[in-house]
Amino acid sequence: MESTNQPSDLSEEHRRHVLPNVGGRHRRPSGQPPALPHVLGRTGRFWLVMIAYFISVLIGVLIFPSAARLFERFDSMRLRGFASLRADWLTDPMTWINTLASRWVIRFIRWGTILALIAFKRWRQLWVFIGAVIFVEFFTYQIALYMARPRPLDVTILAGWNGYSMPSRPLAGLAVSMVGAAYGLIVAGRPRYRTKWVIAAVLGVIVFARLYLAVDQPTSAGFGAIFGVAVALVAFRWFCPNDVFPVSYRRGKSAHLDVGGARGEAIVAAVRDQLGLEVLEIKPVGLEGSGGSTPLRMLVKGSGDRPERYLFAKLYAKNHVRADRWYKLGRSILYGALEDETPFKTVRRFVEYEDYTLRLLNDHKIATPEPYGVVEITPEREYMIVMEFFEGAVEIGEAEIDDTVIDEGLQLIMRMWEAGLAHRDVKPANLMVRDGHLKVIDVFFVQVRPSPWRQAVDLANMMMVLALRTDPDRVYRRALRVFTEEELSEAFAAARGVASPTQLRTMMKTDGRGILERFRELAPARRPVSIQRWSVRRILLTMCVAVVALLAFALVASNWTVFA
Amino acid sequence: MIRRAIPVALAAAIALSGCTSSSSDMPACTGTGENLFVLMAQSVPSATQLPCVAELPAGWTFAGSQVQSGLTRFWLDSDRAGIHAVQVDLTRSCDTSEGVGAPPGPDETNMEVFVVPGLPPSFSATRFVVFNGGCVTYRYRFGGDAPPSLTVEAEEALSFLSRLVIVRTVRLDFGLSLCGAFAAECAG
Repeated sequence: MESTNQPSDLSEEHRRHVLPNVGGRHRRPSGQPPALPHVLGRTGRFWLVMIAYFISVLIGVLIFPSAARLFERFDSMRLRGFASLRADWLTDPMTWINTLASRWVIRFIRWGTILALIAFKRWRQLWVFIGAVIFVEFFTYQIALYMARPRPLDVTILAGWNGYSMPSRPLAGLAVSMVGAAYGLIVAGRPRYRTKWVIAAVLGVIVFARLYLAVDQPTSAGFGAIFGVAVALVAFRWFCPNDVFPVSYRRGKSAHLDVGGARGEAIVAAVRDQLGLEVLEIKPVGLEGSGGSTPLRMLVKGSGDRPERYLFAKLYAKNHVRADRWYKLGRSILYGALEDETPFKTVRRFVEYEDYTLRLLNDHKIATPEPYGVVEITPEREYMIVMEFFEGAVEIGEAEIDDTVIDEGLQLIMRMWEAGLAHRDVKPANLMVRDGHLKVIDVFFVQVRPSPWRQAVDLANMMMVLALRTDPDRVYRRALRVFTEEELSEAFAAARGVASPTQLRTMMKTDGRGILERFRELAPARRPVSIQRWSVRRILLTMCVAVVALLAFALVASNWTVFA
Repeated sequence: MIRRAIPVALAAAIALSGCTSSSSDMPACTGTGENLFVLMAQSVPSATQLPCVAELPAGWTFAGSQVQSGLTRFWLDSDRAGIHAVQVDLTRSCDTSEGVGAPPGPDETNMEVFVVPGLPPSFSATRFVVFNGGCVTYRYRFGGDAPPSLTVEAEEALSFLSRLVIVRTVRLDFGLSLCGAFAAECAG
């Protein structure tokens, strides 16, 4: 059997593209951190440890009554110390400060934050904020009932209170609201850092006032404040990390990752180590046309006979996997199993699939970017797929469209049909024209052996994109040279509603010429293809989602006294 | 749209959030729910008596309590008189000016009782029991055709526990003072 160092079918040109600068690559040895290690942060860990500490204390107190006695005496001793500071001139200001933890102040902060998040359309932050508040309200309420700890003993209480004392619910509610507002509304960095110090100072003063007035025990006040802060902090860092959902008052889509700072440095290091390429510049591009990933243009250093050039990259993170999961769940409920609605489980699978589809289309000589490979940024959390950048290409919506481009668009669909593929996302943002020739990008949605419905939809979408810059009659005439009348008729019977990407539907609406209607007039009449697919799975899935929604509603309703 | 509307709907719930508190623990005159009695005693420190539930007759259920500074409140539900048929409030004092003096019940020694009858069609009445340092108000609101005689059942179900019992228990359990009536003087 013949053995060679390089695969014999790999041409020199292909090797130059696919395996560039092999010498610059560097395998990460075991134990060495990845390009961008995942960290919860020192403060995040601190607050988690504090929560664990308090929960273990609570369990200890419940199991051993002597521990409860110990804490009660300890707290009373401390409170007597605070009571010794009492003076007429100090009591009034302390009473006023205590009103900052009143329900009206907490409501004001919550309403303000909620309205601001809605105004800025920061839905992710809104969800996390609401979730954190519900979590804190629900659990502090339940813990308070379970612990049933009375108000401080041995010291006269000087302020109003409500219910059991452990944990302090006003402090927990105030803390989660203030920290949630800071994470949801304040830009990360120095402004948020300063805000957190202000919050710490405010909480500190209120805790002091409540201990002075003996309305809470020190341990109840401490647990309440720490619990509120920790839940908000961990919730935002976990479900709404700043580098994935940055708080910014500039325009941009929330799905896009911040590629500056530590991530930018990690990308440079990862591309150097894993692909052997020296990145000179990273720039986000085409953000408005992409919601599922963060598209980047990278300038890489030339080597050998290869000049300095641009590469295209797409950065994927866990939030993209979650978005894909929700999107497919929604589609399954609204339309049934129109096509494969199985969600991706991991980010790794995400990029692996796109890398596969790129290579598959290249194998079929379809004009797509040449793949350079997958780069690991943070294991199992962030990956980047790198490919050729069509330098000098313009989006089809801004290009001159002649018969060559029209024919290439139609041929592209025919070639995909012959290869048993569907692009599934044919829209202006994914079709580029360079030197008068059509190129197709963003092949993530490509499906092997798709349904005939989806293949027909691809054809209709392509013809509508081409007609946007020309006219339907001309595109239809050219299409008859490639497709039969029956195929064209099927295409426009299938292209209904969600079958066309949002961008294409919006542009058609703006165009206002009734392109789809004109195509339907030109093609032989055919009954519309239904996009509703009914199955036992769809019914069960819909019922499950309805039950979960009902349970969530019941949870809130049954604890209404906590909220209202 | 729906996805965006849900947080907005939940927002209303949260925005209304406060720190109200209600518990399903029952203040049984047998002394169970000791911590609830401590909290009730703290809510009106001057009160020498605490309202409690002696024994619930058939058809009556305890419907929850709410304890805060200055007020302890709990409710009884009846299968005939309806939800919250009886509301019991413990306060420092109460306005009995519209009430008419009435004989105290067997558990109401050294207490003054005043009654304010309600207006038809359905039965309603208010009964004030005034004692040293506090006042308990029973509000009867019977729905439908529930007979007024049900008040007898309710009165049998409700009784009093001396604050002294709770003060002694706290002293014994924690070595600390339950500030207020019958207790040693507190700091501050």
